[in-house]
Amino acid sequence: MAGINKWKLMSLAALAAVVLVLPQVVKSSFAIDIFIRILLFSFIGVAWNLMGGYAKQLSLGHAAYFGLGAYTSTIMQVDFGISPWIGMVAGGIVAMLASLPIGWLCFRLRGPYFTIATIATAQALMLIFLKFRDFAWGAEGTTIPNLGSSPLMMQFEAKASYYYVVLGLLVLGLAITQRIERSWMGYYLVAIGEDEDAAEAIGVNAPRIKRDIYMISAFLTALAGTFYVQYIYFIDPATAFNFNISIEAALVSIVGGIGTLWGPVIGTVLLETTSALLQSWLGSSTGGVQLTVYALILMAVILWRPTGLIGIVTDAYQRHVNRKPARA
Amino acid sequence: MLETVAQAVINGLLIGGIYALVSIGVTLIFGVVKIVNFAQGEFVMIGMYISFYLATQFGIDPIVSLVVSMPVLFVIGVLVQHFLIRRVLGPNDMPQIFLTFALSLLLLNLALMLFTANYRTVHTSYSDEAFHLAGLYIPVAKLIAFVVAMGLSAALWVFLHTTDLGKAMRAAAQNRDVATLMGINPNRVFCVALGVALALAGAAGSLLMPFYSAYPFVGQVFVLMAFVAVVLGTLGNVMGALIASLMMGIAESLGIQFVGADSGLIVVFAMLLLTLAFKPNGLGGGRVR
Repeated sequence: MAGINKWKLMSLAALAAVVLVLPQVVKSSFAIDIFIRILLFSFIGVAWNLMGGYAKQLSLGHAAYFGLGAYTSTIMQVDFGISPWIGMVAGGIVAMLASLPIGWLCFRLRGPYFTIATIATAQALMLIFLKFRDFAWGAEGTTIPNLGSSPLMMQFEAKASYYYVVLGLLVLGLAITQRIERSWMGYYLVAIGEDEDAAEAIGVNAPRIKRDIYMISAFLTALAGTFYVQYIYFIDPATAFNFNISIEAALVSIVGGIGTLWGPVIGTVLLETTSALLQSWLGSSTGGVQLTVYALILMAVILWRPTGLIGIVTDAYQRHVNRKPARA
Repeated sequence: MLETVAQAVINGLLIGGIYALVSIGVTLIFGVVKIVNFAQGEFVMIGMYISFYLATQFGIDPIVSLVVSMPVLFVIGVLVQHFLIRRVLGPNDMPQIFLTFALSLLLLNLALMLFTANYRTVHTSYSDEAFHLAGLYIPVAKLIAFVVAMGLSAALWVFLHTTDLGKAMRAAAQNRDVATLMGINPNRVFCVALGVALALAGAAGSLLMPFYSAYPFVGQVFVLMAFVAVVLGTLGNVMGALIASLMMGIAESLGIQFVGADSGLIVVFAMLLLTLAFKPNGLGGGRVR
């Protein structure tokens, strides 16, 4: 068994080295932009996966928390001059608090109707932000004042700096996931995901566990929202509460491997790379094409590999390490 | 004032008939196959584009083109059940939810590529016609749509309650295992359920065409409305979905009249949230699952 740990450690060290030096070696701004998108959506996927993957509470409304995080930090920065670093944490707390009433409503339904309820609450939040132009600029949105190089205000001249910020977020998300995975809470989550009634029958307080994991998931998703608007210097309801964010959060996890630590990362690498390739082949008119391809990938994974692509990776890894055939 | 309310109620009731066709399809699939079809709205869209092209290419009236759109969508429904949904039936929610969700995403974006995001309309001789009845304004196109929608709903009710196949479907909805033991072939019943549900969505699309624009995202408006109506009308209950759809249409119309032109959707969301908060089992009670 010690052999596996050594291998695991060495692979992780190699991965860390590559990821850390990547923006120093690759200087193309297009490429770094893609790397940042990969890290960002991996992070959102990791946040979604905590609730959607382990507890199988399949939300399609995580854009709500992304948007709340984005708006909280932007309002604090533009109206009160408070640093987005503080705004980011504040946004996370706002999202956590918002997840309480939203969860209270949505968890009344199970399975597909839970999913629909999350879509509806996220859309309702977007409509509210479209309506209230007094405190959140309405449909026009606003640009975020560009201060040049100002690390304290989360603004950097080099794109590589943004890369390291979002890399930090992803590491945070993965660390939290791993801690939860190995704790009693992780087992409770998996039990709820397998069969909620059975879990309750053996004494798991399912409503409380679901509420707690929803709060953690919402908090992390909101951090991504703040980062994203700081990176693109613009916010409006259509960007911050975009349904595509909810879709991609779920998609990367399912394609990569639902309920696994690295699944969302693997899924994002595949989907975002595909999307970038499509973009470079077809130019900018890829709106319909990109999601068509995503939908086909999603269908293929569900029909032929419902455990996600990570199964292929771990099978290969097992074969390599153990020199024995992988289990079916 | 009273007249304004009456007019809003009429408008809502008429569009509610279309919502009913979509909701009945959703609730039928949920009742029989136990899955939620996220792509139901996209099949309304397909019905609209079929009628649009038949009208512009061959000059066929959109309402007459029902006889094309309904069979075409019935066949699509059977194929979707046989080649896609059949493979993910089981205790696990994830593949079921995300398979039909992926289908919705696929159809919507294919439409975006094939037909562009442009709004397509068909102008018929009766598109601008209206009855005036006791000071109320009743558009002919919407009235036809409502009457045909109610006729189709009644036909479905007769089918479910009098024919062997219909009874088999209701039996499969009540208890799949026992129905199978009684010699009912579940996949065949599921194929018919999907076919009928999609045919109703196609009918909704054709009936909409004389007074509504077709565009790739059009289905999302209707499917959202249908989901709310289906929860409100108790999951899997056809009559409940019908009544709830008519109520939703009226509520939306009153919302547009008294809250603001773009508030219809907010009213719908408010209704969903209120339903979840106070009546998660639907207005008729019943069990959630």
